Amino acid sequence: MTIMDTPSSPGALRRLSDSLHLDARKYTTIVVFGLLAAVPLISAVTGDGYIVTQANRIIIMALFTVGLDLVLGYGGLVSFGHAAFYGLGGYTVAILAYHHENAEPILGWASTNSALVTLPLAMLVSGLAATIIGWIALRTRGVHFIMITLAFAQMIYFVFVGLKYYGGDDGLILNARNTLPGVNLSRPIPFYWLSFCLLTAVGYGLYRITESRFGMVLSGARSSERRMRALGFDVDRHRLVAFAISGAIAGLAGALTVQEARFASPELLGWMKSGEVIVMAVLGGSGTLIGPVVGAAAFILLETSLATLTEHWMLILGPFLVLVVLVLDGGLVRLIERIRR
Amino acid sequence: MTAPALSITALRKSFGSLRATDGLDLDVRPGELHAIIGPNGAGKSTMIGQITGEIRPDSGTIRLFGEEVTAWTVEKRALAGLGRSFQITQLLPDFTAEDNAALAVQARSGSSFRFWRNAHRDERLRGPARAALAATGLAARADTLVEDLSHGEMRQLELAVALAMEARLLVLDEPMAGMSVADSKEVVDLLARLKGRLSILLVEHDMDAVFALADRISVLVAGRIVASGTVEEIRNDPRVREAYLGEEDAHAGDH
Amino acid sequence: MQLFIEQSLNALQMSFTLFLLATGLTLIFGIMGLINLAHGSLYMVGAFVGTTVALKSGSFLLGVGGGIVGGALAGVVLELAVFRRLYAQDHLHQVLATFGIILFANEATTLLWGRAPLLVEVPGWLNGSVKLMDGLSYPVYRLAVMAVGAAVAVGLHLLVVHTRLGMLIRAGASDRAMVAALGVDVSKLYTVVFALGAGLAGLAGILAAPIQSTQIGMGEQILILTFVVVVVGGVGSIKGAFAGAVLIAFVDTLGRAYVPGLFKLVLSSTVADALGTSVASVAIYLVMAIVLIVRPEGLIPEAR
Repeated sequence: MTIMDTPSSPGALRRLSDSLHLDARKYTTIVVFGLLAAVPLISAVTGDGYIVTQANRIIIMALFTVGLDLVLGYGGLVSFGHAAFYGLGGYTVAILAYHHENAEPILGWASTNSALVTLPLAMLVSGLAATIIGWIALRTRGVHFIMITLAFAQMIYFVFVGLKYYGGDDGLILNARNTLPGVNLSRPIPFYWLSFCLLTAVGYGLYRITESRFGMVLSGARSSERRMRALGFDVDRHRLVAFAISGAIAGLAGALTVQEARFASPELLGWMKSGEVIVMAVLGGSGTLIGPVVGAAAFILLETSLATLTEHWMLILGPFLVLVVLVLDGGLVRLIERIRR
Repeated sequence: MTAPALSITALRKSFGSLRATDGLDLDVRPGELHAIIGPNGAGKSTMIGQITGEIRPDSGTIRLFGEEVTAWTVEKRALAGLGRSFQITQLLPDFTAEDNAALAVQARSGSSFRFWRNAHRDERLRGPARAALAATGLAARADTLVEDLSHGEMRQLELAVALAMEARLLVLDEPMAGMSVADSKEVVDLLARLKGRLSILLVEHDMDAVFALADRISVLVAGRIVASGTVEEIRNDPRVREAYLGEEDAHAGDH
Repeated sequence: MQLFIEQSLNALQMSFTLFLLATGLTLIFGIMGLINLAHGSLYMVGAFVGTTVALKSGSFLLGVGGGIVGGALAGVVLELAVFRRLYAQDHLHQVLATFGIILFANEATTLLWGRAPLLVEVPGWLNGSVKLMDGLSYPVYRLAVMAVGAAVAVGLHLLVVHTRLGMLIRAGASDRAMVAALGVDVSKLYTVVFALGAGLAGLAGILAAPIQSTQIGMGEQILILTFVVVVVGGVGSIKGAFAGAVLIAFVDTLGRAYVPGLFKLVLSSTVADALGTSVASVAIYLVMAIVLIVRPEGLIPEAR
């Protein structure tokens, strides 16, 4: 029997189970987004406004996490400084609001309160920062990469702590949310729909990206950078672009979070934040697009329910995380896939 | 006279006090299959590393089809037509065989900064990929994940990937290593079919394969080429026989 | 001039604290390949346990012992319970698991000691200042810390160069597989190395206690500094940890002391104040970034 006599049935089986996999993920995606879309209705029926705030927080963190996962799960790069981009996006919005509220020009320009300007600007600032930081960090690998991304985030954190003009450690309060023509973002439901639509749009965009030629290079480099280079791909440049996109998405999430809370503080840039978002990605299932969304939801729900149980909820959350890492291989979404098989 | 596919001149590389490459000269003519043999520790890995661009030489030059590539990156050499197989296969385990070949096609077909179109369904990538698989006898395994392929099939896939990337010079790093006799024969037949279509630098221990395929053989010992010639010349070279081909006499009876 | 000497001495003292922490971290990463974010928590445990022992027993020396033992014990428990299973995992999982341990450690400490910082004073026999030169008196305690640090450095050198354990440590730092092939009980070696690193962290914690306040979160602040030292010095290298600690401590201390002043020369006072402190805090990260670009293997890398 030669190598060419192998039957094709394993291939067919694999194709079938592959489509089953996708069905589990598509199924999860439909359920999750369906639930999120139903939240305003549920809130109207039960009269409970808190559920909208909670779900909004989940959506914003999901946005942050899914952006990180492009680099973490698909790119295979452990960035421990993504809060820098999150915080920069948030502070962009906060600083613009500050200058607008105090009618102060910023660098000679009049500020604005329009979401059509502030949100894209937030993405631009954080995307730019990600490009610069990424360019330096991608010259390193492994633990050095982790450390240098952490270091840059710390740098930016300390810059904002020292920036007393914009509140420093105490943070910056926004008097009002941004405006959008025809939509009153100051009300919770319209703002919720804005967040939801942005998450859906970004999520779909990332789906296209990960299945595109660009996505193939990124995923391939995660498995074997050597092989990809030997084929002729400029791996570093592809990773840099992924890093920039990821940073811009994190910036958008940061902008939304500052809008939601009407408050910005250096905590947005802290390394705990960077750690939390990695936790959410891995908990949900890194490298699957719906995983980060599930992970963000699971983490926030766990945090809030544990907090009601005991003041020392972190005592449980800590070991829980350890257990998740040691036991749950591949996150919640892959667990769902395994159960469905 | 057309430029050699590969031309190495006075190549030197030391790691501390170890002289891994010690004045290496080598030419691979266009279309030929040039085999490199030599004892373990002769510096084969270091030589291959410098040819592909993963290792920077201390001195010397490397020319690819007449162009000096000594300072070029791995990627740049790949795009110039240098393909390689890895001794420890560097295939992407969670991709299918066809995916792997398609990536090779993708590398040569324009920019990969395309973010919207689904690469899995792009016929411009899949068509040539399937053709490369067919040429290496893997058509039936196109949709199999690499981690499910047999050892021999992975080697074949490495060759299919090299074909898909339209390499003009193929550097093969011990492709027969760890293969069964039957599998080895498949690969030898495949390489025989490829001969002439492209230039091949074959680094191998399997003497049967080397003698069956090679147009010329060079012997690498202690970081330099000590003998170079046709199969007959090398077989009959007393120095080579003594130092290296001790088992040659035992094999002579098999042919 | 006096200011410069005083700041330099402060920097030197900080170097030793960082060295104690960085040595443990660099050995753990170099030998076991473990990114241990919870190293700062061991520092915190040392400070809390040591302070409690010192306050209860009335003896600072006993407190120091308590800090070392407390840190080492916590380290061993964590090693046996969690870290053993992490050595084989990738960086991402290690980061996550140790991150979880930080959360747990901080909360457990709050549970046991409450949220208020714990205060311990410099022991009487180490109190006061010594006159070094005209116009400069320096606290005896800080000099004592430096002396302890120097003694530890010498002790480590003797350990690494002259004992079997030291040989295994050096071998392990450059080639993990070789150590296993030597027939050594690798699990036990790892536990010992971990206990050593944790004990050093605990020592650093209790020594720092009279100077800074012992509180939740003290571990995280110094952890990042420690990582910077390890990366700058060279992973797995004790000499690198020393060089890195000195460089980082000096850049940080002198930076904070002089950069705002330098800024005042060119910029207005308020702007200089705001920017100056920011830039000073940022200085060490800039150093790390430069080192990573120019000499990624570190200042004194472990020879391979």
